[in-house]
Amino acid sequence: MDRSVQVVMMYILTHLGLIFFLYPSNIIESTDQGHWIPISLGIVIHIIFVLVYLKGLSFFPRRNIIMIYSSFGKVYLILFLLPIFLYFISAVTITVRAYSEILTIIFLANTPLWAVMALLLFIPFFLAIQGVQAIFRTGILVSFLFLPFLVFILIVSFQNVDASYIYPLWNNDFSFMTKQSYINSFFAISGGFLFLGFIQPEISYKHKKIVIAFAAVVPAFILSVYIPLLTFGKATAETFLFPFVLALDTITLSWIMFDRATVFFLLSLITFIMLFISLVLWKASIIIHHSLPSIKPVYIVVSLTFVIYIACLLIPNWQQVQMLFKWNSVLRFYVLLTVPLSIYFLGHLSKKKVY
Amino acid sequence: MLKKMLIFSLLPFLLFPLSGCWDNRDINHRVMPISIGVAKMDEGYKVFLQIPEPSSESLGTRIVTGEGETINQIIDNISVNMESAVDLLHVKVIVVDKRLAEEGLNDLISGFIRSRDVSAKAVIAICDDNIDQFFESMENAEGGEGTILLDYFEKYSGWDPHVALSRVWEVYRSSHSYTRDVAIPMIKRGQTTFLEIVGSAVIKNGRLVEVISSDETLLYNAFNNKSTRGKIEILDDASVMILSNDTDYKAEFTDQTPHLQTTFNFSVMILETNGNPSAQDIKMNLEELLLDRYKALIVKLKTSEADILGIGQHFRKEIPRKDLKNWRSDYYPNLAFNPIIQVDIQNYGNLKHTTN
Repeated sequence: MDRSVQVVMMYILTHLGLIFFLYPSNIIESTDQGHWIPISLGIVIHIIFVLVYLKGLSFFPRRNIIMIYSSFGKVYLILFLLPIFLYFISAVTITVRAYSEILTIIFLANTPLWAVMALLLFIPFFLAIQGVQAIFRTGILVSFLFLPFLVFILIVSFQNVDASYIYPLWNNDFSFMTKQSYINSFFAISGGFLFLGFIQPEISYKHKKIVIAFAAVVPAFILSVYIPLLTFGKATAETFLFPFVLALDTITLSWIMFDRATVFFLLSLITFIMLFISLVLWKASIIIHHSLPSIKPVYIVVSLTFVIYIACLLIPNWQQVQMLFKWNSVLRFYVLLTVPLSIYFLGHLSKKKVY
Repeated sequence: MLKKMLIFSLLPFLLFPLSGCWDNRDINHRVMPISIGVAKMDEGYKVFLQIPEPSSESLGTRIVTGEGETINQIIDNISVNMESAVDLLHVKVIVVDKRLAEEGLNDLISGFIRSRDVSAKAVIAICDDNIDQFFESMENAEGGEGTILLDYFEKYSGWDPHVALSRVWEVYRSSHSYTRDVAIPMIKRGQTTFLEIVGSAVIKNGRLVEVISSDETLLYNAFNNKSTRGKIEILDDASVMILSNDTDYKAEFTDQTPHLQTTFNFSVMILETNGNPSAQDIKMNLEELLLDRYKALIVKLKTSEADILGIGQHFRKEIPRKDLKNWRSDYYPNLAFNPIIQVDIQNYGNLKHTTN
């Protein structure tokens, strides 16, 4: 059965969840003017690597990347799957920790952090146990519930936009590429698409249809940065940790019964992030399951969740989260570069062998 | 089977965590001030909370005050002393006293933005009066349903185009932005009405630098393309009501000097006439009146170097960002401003207009 819709939806949801929190402030911090340059660079890199990855995967119909790497021998498994696994674990840890901190900063000021983190891990854990099909079906449900609202919020967020803030447009200074904040912005760019290689054969999809998802994700990259930028101007927006959230706070709609639409926006994004976490947990668990087939997947997910929860509890403050972002960027770039390319070349290699 | 039974019997217990009721305070155990007043003391601040109190007959108002070093400390103290917890979530109006505004609002405003306790959408106003008495009179105000200040600034109730309406986030933006300042309304106790508008305070980088009249505030609103509908202008020979307005800008930047030509189109309706002036006369007089006011306003603003009209916004294209930082001091005083007022008499009311 073709489940392209589910895959496209999942792709959109996880990316939206990743984009709207830390990405805007990372980009705004990275350069003084012409923010569209770093954004487009990121988008181009994203699209190229996704396309290469998809092309590579299309050489191996109905196989996931674990099967692909293991068919080429143990070396590949260690060279590629081990970093992927480590990346997943660290990504989940960072995501859970960072988003729980975001939740406490933005609206749960009185709730203890451990409770927020427990919630953020428990639901993904539950989903991950149910398996990949459950995760994707939930994705469809969640998108029905929250996407219309999200679109509405995005439209009304133009309320306080002042187009003059778009200038100056051009920037000759390309030093943003080496700035840590720009490197951190790749958390949103490279974080979400690896699942495309994991879900086969359980969920089959047409590779071409993923292109549709770009149409939703690319505007999200741009709007998440430009709405706060045009509402506040660069000099003000750079003082915020979550510029997009603040930009939403400025929306005044007297005919809406809720005073703060922000909370609804945030909660829908948090559900997207929960999906993302459950997906990553599930991916990490099947990697382990492949190397240790004797252990039941349920126990793997339980122990992974437990380890991640403990790791989250050990991170005391926002400074440390930033630090982890920095350390994680090595793994992030390794995974971003090597996985799509290696799959692509292995695909070519196997094609030659066949003929 | 046994396993399923076990799982199902455990499911109801999920109700407790899933309800999300964590150290949650019920709404009847919170007090939600609608407006707060902040005054600068010799050391620290004094805070006034205006809390609507529902009673059996009508909605009353209660004023609670506290003094301390920081706003949060005061709110905390008040919270401790009150029977319920203070929740600033629904604060709609923030009134600061003039002294605090003159010394600078930056710390106060960035505190609000940082903690997100107070909504970034709250309207901010300056009290040009004794703030103690101002809030005291609110408690005694007859028929004031606890929302008197809020109603005054609400667009769908008491707001008028000669009142500047500025929100916390706009004031915050003005203290950081290179090219944008903000005007906030100045109010005092009125003789027969509860409030009286003094004019608007021009806030530059979070500090009060100048006061403009409410007539000038109308021009400020018109410049920013806010509707000035309903405002009545009195001329020597007639009075007219503004029905609609729109503004076009043409910015030029030559020889390091900004030139701005602004065309204001006002559509008006004639309400009353003295004698029988021709439509042309009324038009000319009104254009002249508004033009003079604009010129005076610009002179006033240029001397205070506060760009409440956001004129610098139109030159972001031309001035490089590193120079834009000094827009207020280097370029703005040299601004060549050329306002063009175009008045169109949309209708003459119920009477036919005949000129002799």
